[in-house]
Amino acid sequence: MFSFTKEQEIFNISGVRIGGQPGSYPTVLIGGLFFKGEPDFIRAKKNLQDMYHISKKTGNPAIPDFFIKKEEFVEDIINFIKDNIPKEKTFSIDIVDPEIKLKALEILSQKNLLSQTIYNSVHVGITEEEIKALKKFSPEMIIIVAFNPKDKSPDGKIEVLENGAHLTEIGLIEITKKIGVKKILIDTAALAPGDNSGASIAAIPVIKEEYGFPVGCAIHNVVEKSNWLNDFDSVRKPVDACSNINIPLFGGDFAIYGPIENANLVFPMIAWQDILISEYTENYFGVEPCNYHPRRKLQR
Amino acid sequence: MKHQIKTSVIGSYPIKIEAKDLMYKYFNGNEIIWKKYIEEAVNDMVCAGIDIISDGQTRDPFIQIFTRKLNGCRIRDRTEIVNKVEYIKPITVDDQIYTRNILPNNKENIGVLTGPFTLASSCVNQYYDNSKDLAYDFAYALSKEAENLQKCVDLISIDEPFYSNELPEYSKELIDIIIKKIHLPTRLHVCGDVSKIIPDLLDMPIDILSHEFKATTNLLNKFNEYSVSKKICLGSVRSDDTKVESVKDITNHIKYAYDLFGEKIVQISPDCGQRMLPRKIAFKKLQNLVKAGDIINGR
Repeated sequence: MFSFTKEQEIFNISGVRIGGQPGSYPTVLIGGLFFKGEPDFIRAKKNLQDMYHISKKTGNPAIPDFFIKKEEFVEDIINFIKDNIPKEKTFSIDIVDPEIKLKALEILSQKNLLSQTIYNSVHVGITEEEIKALKKFSPEMIIIVAFNPKDKSPDGKIEVLENGAHLTEIGLIEITKKIGVKKILIDTAALAPGDNSGASIAAIPVIKEEYGFPVGCAIHNVVEKSNWLNDFDSVRKPVDACSNINIPLFGGDFAIYGPIENANLVFPMIAWQDILISEYTENYFGVEPCNYHPRRKLQR
Repeated sequence: MKHQIKTSVIGSYPIKIEAKDLMYKYFNGNEIIWKKYIEEAVNDMVCAGIDIISDGQTRDPFIQIFTRKLNGCRIRDRTEIVNKVEYIKPITVDDQIYTRNILPNNKENIGVLTGPFTLASSCVNQYYDNSKDLAYDFAYALSKEAENLQKCVDLISIDEPFYSNELPEYSKELIDIIIKKIHLPTRLHVCGDVSKIIPDLLDMPIDILSHEFKATTNLLNKFNEYSVSKKICLGSVRSDDTKVESVKDITNHIKYAYDLFGEKIVQISPDCGQRMLPRKIAFKKLQNLVKAGDIINGR
């Protein structure tokens, strides 16, 4: 278990606190919606309620991550966010296509949602147009994906944060700061099995110690791509959920845990892990858990 | 003319890396493939008519290409040396094999190594007591890369730009370590003004000296003050200037050098790597270099 010598940032977005020394705040759990097919808003509403419900029980903050894969979905998904995400809660928008990103930012601004928005994500593929749009319509928080196509080790991840690995003119952290967003989360960019997949976990303490920003990743993606698990179908879902415990164990602050439907499995698992960590970090490092930490809520 | 001068490059070629495409591949779970960029560089050189071609050094600047894959090096803003520098696995060999495979049969390829003194001088040394020890370990590591490279290239070129700023007393020994087991022709490229170290360069254990003869206007005359026993790769178009030299200008430059050194001139090339030039300019310079070479060779 870790305690970092570098001062750790704690960011607040719509009441959700992310970051700090391990053991102080519960792991923030980010559940994804609309990855497959057309957005199913009825199902999404129920899934959101279920996730918030279990989040309230364990104390782990819940953030819905809205994947927008087509331009035609942008308006409807943002309307859904406007209608279903309370003002005191946050959400992230997860978009790959730069054109869709621009459109989404503009609509989020029109609907006064930017102060609740986590922008997922900035990376070495960022375009000039995207930077301009982000300066004009700045979200409250940005996730930087530290994927380095040249070097998948923790050092490679630091390199893109530091200088963009010569794929961007300056480092991704500096780009984000120049956009004007100071609340930065670092995603250590999980990779496929056989492609240094463990590096995304190993990079968590390295990046926290280097920069002090909150760090996490979508380690469950590695499970999704572990084809050998097809021979053990009954355990695929538990393994997917369980993979997330690596994140708090290595000092991480948030887990992008996959489909929101997995909340019922993931939240108790991570709460259990957070309690384990907190017991040690308080005893050894004197880190007190916050008042809504699973250790306070669940362990009597 | 019986004696035929070959056209060559020094190493790097300006290819734009599409980081957005690389990220798409990442998000879609597809493998990152670099071959496209090597192909672009090689195709430009082939289309321009260059005889001796590099892989374009598209992956990284010339320091990081090597330090990224050597033990003991940690890439930060500058490379940091945090442990003993050691060779782990081939660094540029796969790219050279690929380059060789896509080259027409009448073309040759160069294995380019960034020199140990330049590597040592460019890194932040946090491990060795002195930069000399670091440079020696880089040299031992590069000797292994050179050995691996000689199976798939026609020429080994060592790029030591820092020698023009400072020539350490062990400079010759560093080069010797790298080429000890090399049976191919070897070239030493030192850009910048080397007029003060010409005797040392002429004493280096390599076959071909390559310098910025175009940008450093008086360098040919300075070399002419010595008995030049080495072959020469004549820098004939500038790498630091976007103005494209005319064929006539390049031809005159080569003729002038040929009058001084005759058949010692075996290659003509850009003054240095072309990474900093816009691609169109770099290509046009290579085209004009080839046209000038054809005139000189009587084609």
